[in-house]
Amino acid sequence: MTDDKDVLRDVWFGRIPTCFTLYQDEITEREAEPYYLLLPRVSYLTLVTDKVKKHFQKVMRQEDISEIWFEYEGTPLKWHYPIGLLFDLLASSSALPWNITVHFKSFPEKDLLHCPSKDAVEAHFMSCVKEADALKHKSQVINEMQKKDHKQLWMGLQNVVSTWSSQEIETTQRVKQDRFDQFWAINRKLMEYPAEENGFRYIPFRIYQTTTERPFIQKLFRPVAADGQLHTLGDLLREVCPSALAPEDNPTPKRQGLDVQACAQKV
Amino acid sequence: MEENEFFGEKTFQRYCAEFIKHSQQIGDGWEWRTSKEALELPLDDFEVTESTATNEVIKYEYHVLYSCSYQVPVLYFRASFLDGRPLALKDIWEGVHECYKTRLLQGPWDTISQQEHPILGQPFFVLHPCKTNEFMTPVLKNSRKINRNVNYITSWLSLVGPVVGLHLPLSYAGAASQDE
Repeated sequence: MTDDKDVLRDVWFGRIPTCFTLYQDEITEREAEPYYLLLPRVSYLTLVTDKVKKHFQKVMRQEDISEIWFEYEGTPLKWHYPIGLLFDLLASSSALPWNITVHFKSFPEKDLLHCPSKDAVEAHFMSCVKEADALKHKSQVINEMQKKDHKQLWMGLQNVVSTWSSQEIETTQRVKQDRFDQFWAINRKLMEYPAEENGFRYIPFRIYQTTTERPFIQKLFRPVAADGQLHTLGDLLREVCPSALAPEDNPTPKRQGLDVQACAQKV
Repeated sequence: MEENEFFGEKTFQRYCAEFIKHSQQIGDGWEWRTSKEALELPLDDFEVTESTATNEVIKYEYHVLYSCSYQVPVLYFRASFLDGRPLALKDIWEGVHECYKTRLLQGPWDTISQQEHPILGQPFFVLHPCKTNEFMTPVLKNSRKINRNVNYITSWLSLVGPVVGLHLPLSYAGAASQDE
């Protein structure tokens, strides 16, 4: 695990410079300035946009405000997808900053889940962790943990959101490192496996593509082949998503923005 | 730790096929749908029921999918008024019978929540699947003891369906015990 630490840190500390603009048809009492934010890749939109909400609600009347939702170039953004995933999927080939439109009306019921509170985000996050452990350890590790360990995982994710001011960025560095350590103190247990097994029961993965109707590909996949060879990411893609490797398309799979070629050695 | 019932995808398909056969016989409306991109297989049912509070007609749509992570079937459903307005979680909650509410409120993993349908990508309500093995294992063990044929899907749906307004006609049980 230690040689992967750089990758873990790069993913954890990854940020996306984003510009939030209020949808032009929203009713405001005066002009709404765009709001700039560095979004953490490993978090969720509704968790990190309190400041965005406050900023725009300052120029609106209470009666014109319903549930907030976000959109990029006409596509409603699914808050339950990690921010980094949304960006990589929809906007990675566009120039920065990422331009997101903010809405307070006409919630798209057919496209987006409601997010009534931060508890809903926590429930969703824990549900994902739980499902991953069902695949890795038949849920044994997650079920043996105490409630406080689950909380610690969740608290580790409460990233400090910084603006573009350099002073704020400096002072939050130490806090961010603490959160990383806090998270991994618990997460490392979820990443362990018995020495004789050579890997998890199944690899928890999802492959997202914009070219398919289906939201993602998720299948059972063992980390070790029948002959004992360790599977690579290439093996996985060949088995569950061969079109991703077709030479004529030449897409490069991205994992949280990092070109997967560099870390395709071992799953 | 006792061995839980292994319920693989092929077994799921087999039980669903038998279930559908009976549904077609009694005109119950379940269909088998495949997504051309592979393995998740939803069934579908349209039921129109009345809501007592507002005296409006509500349309429910139920899908049975297979979860390869938990290796159990999962019930997805959504509901809307006839004009297309979807029901919110609190409306769904109001429709759940009192006797089920206590159980559902006991833990976040036993409850109804809004999730993305893994094939359609649209919001649906779901009963969390991680406890399914826990309540299905004794049912299956018991039927083995008395040497009785059981269709997992029929038994499971008859247990979880009523919580969210889905009631299976009794004839499904008769059909299950006849199937080889």
